[in-house]
Amino acid sequence: MSGLFGSLSIALSGLSVSQQELETSSNNVANANTTGYSRETAVTEPGDPVVIGALSLGTGVLLDKIESLRDPILEIQLNQETQQNSSLNAQLEQLQQMQTQFGSSSSGIGADISNFFNSLMQLSPDPSNLALRQSVLTAAGNLATDFNNAANSLETQSSNLNLSVVEDVSQVNSLTSQLASIDQQISRLENANEDAGTLVDQQTNLVRQLSGLVDVQVIQTGKGGIELTTSNGTALVSEGQSFALSTATGTGGAQQVMAGTQNITSSLAGGSLGGTIQIRDQEIPSIGSSLDQLAAGLATALNNANAQGYDLETPPVKGGNIFAAPPVGGVGAAAAMTVTMTDPSLIAASSDGTPGSNGNLANLSAVASEAVANGQTPIDSYSNLVFQVGSTTSNTSADVDASAQILQQLQDERGSVSGVSLDEEAANMVQYQTAYQASARVITTINSLLADAVNLGVETAVQ
Amino acid sequence: MRINPNPMPDLLAALNQTELEAQQATLEISSGKSVNEPSDNPTAAALLVENNDEATFNSGYLQDLATINGQLSLANSTLSSVGNALQQAISLGVEAGDGTLSDSDRAAIAQQLQGIQTQIISLANTAYQGNYLFAGTATNAAPYVASSTDPSGVTYNGNEGVNKVSVGNSYQLEVNQPGSQLFSASGDSVFLALNNLIQAVQSNTGVGTAVTSLSAATNYLSAQQVFYGNSMSQVESETTYLNAAKLQIAQQQNTLGAVDMAAAASNLSQAQTDTQAALEAISKFSQDSLFNYLT
Repeated sequence: MSGLFGSLSIALSGLSVSQQELETSSNNVANANTTGYSRETAVTEPGDPVVIGALSLGTGVLLDKIESLRDPILEIQLNQETQQNSSLNAQLEQLQQMQTQFGSSSSGIGADISNFFNSLMQLSPDPSNLALRQSVLTAAGNLATDFNNAANSLETQSSNLNLSVVEDVSQVNSLTSQLASIDQQISRLENANEDAGTLVDQQTNLVRQLSGLVDVQVIQTGKGGIELTTSNGTALVSEGQSFALSTATGTGGAQQVMAGTQNITSSLAGGSLGGTIQIRDQEIPSIGSSLDQLAAGLATALNNANAQGYDLETPPVKGGNIFAAPPVGGVGAAAAMTVTMTDPSLIAASSDGTPGSNGNLANLSAVASEAVANGQTPIDSYSNLVFQVGSTTSNTSADVDASAQILQQLQDERGSVSGVSLDEEAANMVQYQTAYQASARVITTINSLLADAVNLGVETAVQ
Repeated sequence: MRINPNPMPDLLAALNQTELEAQQATLEISSGKSVNEPSDNPTAAALLVENNDEATFNSGYLQDLATINGQLSLANSTLSSVGNALQQAISLGVEAGDGTLSDSDRAAIAQQLQGIQTQIISLANTAYQGNYLFAGTATNAAPYVASSTDPSGVTYNGNEGVNKVSVGNSYQLEVNQPGSQLFSASGDSVFLALNNLIQAVQSNTGVGTAVTSLSAATNYLSAQQVFYGNSMSQVESETTYLNAAKLQIAQQQNTLGAVDMAAAASNLSQAQTDTQAALEAISKFSQDSLFNYLT
């Protein structure tokens, strides 16, 4: 029989557990708006009973642990969707920037091509007219300038993306080193069979941030520790140690992502780093190469056509180049496109050297319907490019919307598991408060009983 | 099931979406275009490039037709003047063939004929915007120069060149006839016939024959003039066709890229209503929890 003092200690355990429960609620309320925080709940259990003969007497309440409520599967799904979403967002931002220069049908390269052939057409009824010849050169100049602008703006975008790559890699490194140090802390705690609680929240949160940057895979090592790799298996964090990625300047200034000496650039798919690399190494080169082929095809075809006729000089000579000869293979042709012809009388409109002949203008004009790039006419090739840019952007935009929906759905689900509900906390607090008050009342009662016992019935409180 | 206690991100996402829609509708209304960026409608954006190309070519053809028309009608009216002058020469020749005329009368007629010859040379050297119309493609120099040694009284400095100008997709019009085909065609040269007539009148031999040849040459020339008449009517019908096509191209551009104002306006007002609703929801979702009711 434990007696009054036993009851006192039972009541005391109630007081202390209620206090700890209140503390848990209070912590939940404080973190109601903390990103990545998982609500905690105090898990209690009855104290081991004291068995006396046939009697089994309770010994109060024990706080078993403070448990964080989270769904690990959901967290993994969130990581994956975050990788997808960040990658798509990074791509969309760049694509939207890229497509602005292909946006207008009444200006830009497409209109320049149309205007150039129109200027040849205007020259046709009056082939020796110097003003009309000058407008052909002016139209050619506009065409070259817009090709240059388009190529340069792709180049600028590419070099900005290189800055993003370097920045993202340094963020990845900062996150992995934080994760490694948390991992060490967790392994110490979990080895001692403690719940890592908010440390795991921090860990989850950092992994989520890392997922925004790169396609990271999490392997639980069993003791609350984790191992992180990129999806191609490059280790980022293992056994409490982080492995930093680095960048190296590759061909054309393109920043390559290195794990030690291994170039892992092309294997990165998720996160903003993956998206950035996708745009820099796939989309921009693809658009750039289409521009180059069109520029090279047009310049070559027009130079060839001009070479078939005679200019307006006395005596007339065979036509020379209108545009600088494009680089062999066409690489960089759009950026390098220039009109080298400065004298309008050098346009070879004549097919026989007579100043009034427009015979060779037909050859120059015919370039408009020749397959100059990718088996397509100049305007078809450009129009196809516009479609390519537009549809890539619009598809990516649709993918971003879809991914955002999924992400939102997952976040709602996470909220329903781990989110702090103020109503719930308030209700719990009422409950804990009542329990605390009750325990306190029990103590008062025991106190009074003890006074009775000590003073043998004289009603004097023990001070 | 426990619900997500924090719906704020969802509400903000909804607000963002409605604001995006409002922005898109506003952009469409203010620009009058439904395709402001290729991604708005990639197919239409690509077709608009082609459409602009067609419109540019269409207006180019129309401009060319106007230029050609000026050229053709000047050539045509010049040939009419040449025809009139030749008719006058034929009348004079018939008059000179009358045996009753005195030598001095014939000399006067011969002088008149020489005047007509000079006039025709000058007409054959007509230029349009600095280009000689009847010089073939050697348009920078007068094609006919008077010559006392040449039997026709003139030498031809032009060539046989004929220019073609595109006035439609794979539709080319010949826009000139060289003087060598009009005035000094072998067998039917008006210059040769006229010069022969002058000499016949001066020598009073074979005037009748000379008049007959000049008539034949004149008929040949007026038959050649039909070319210009035909070309001008082709220019006219092509102009009509291209103007109709222009409307069609403009209509296609509208269909592809112009905004449906009624739809855009309704989208805008819908988006505004949705935005209001989302704002309302957010403002209602205050931190109204059980805590507010505990005392």
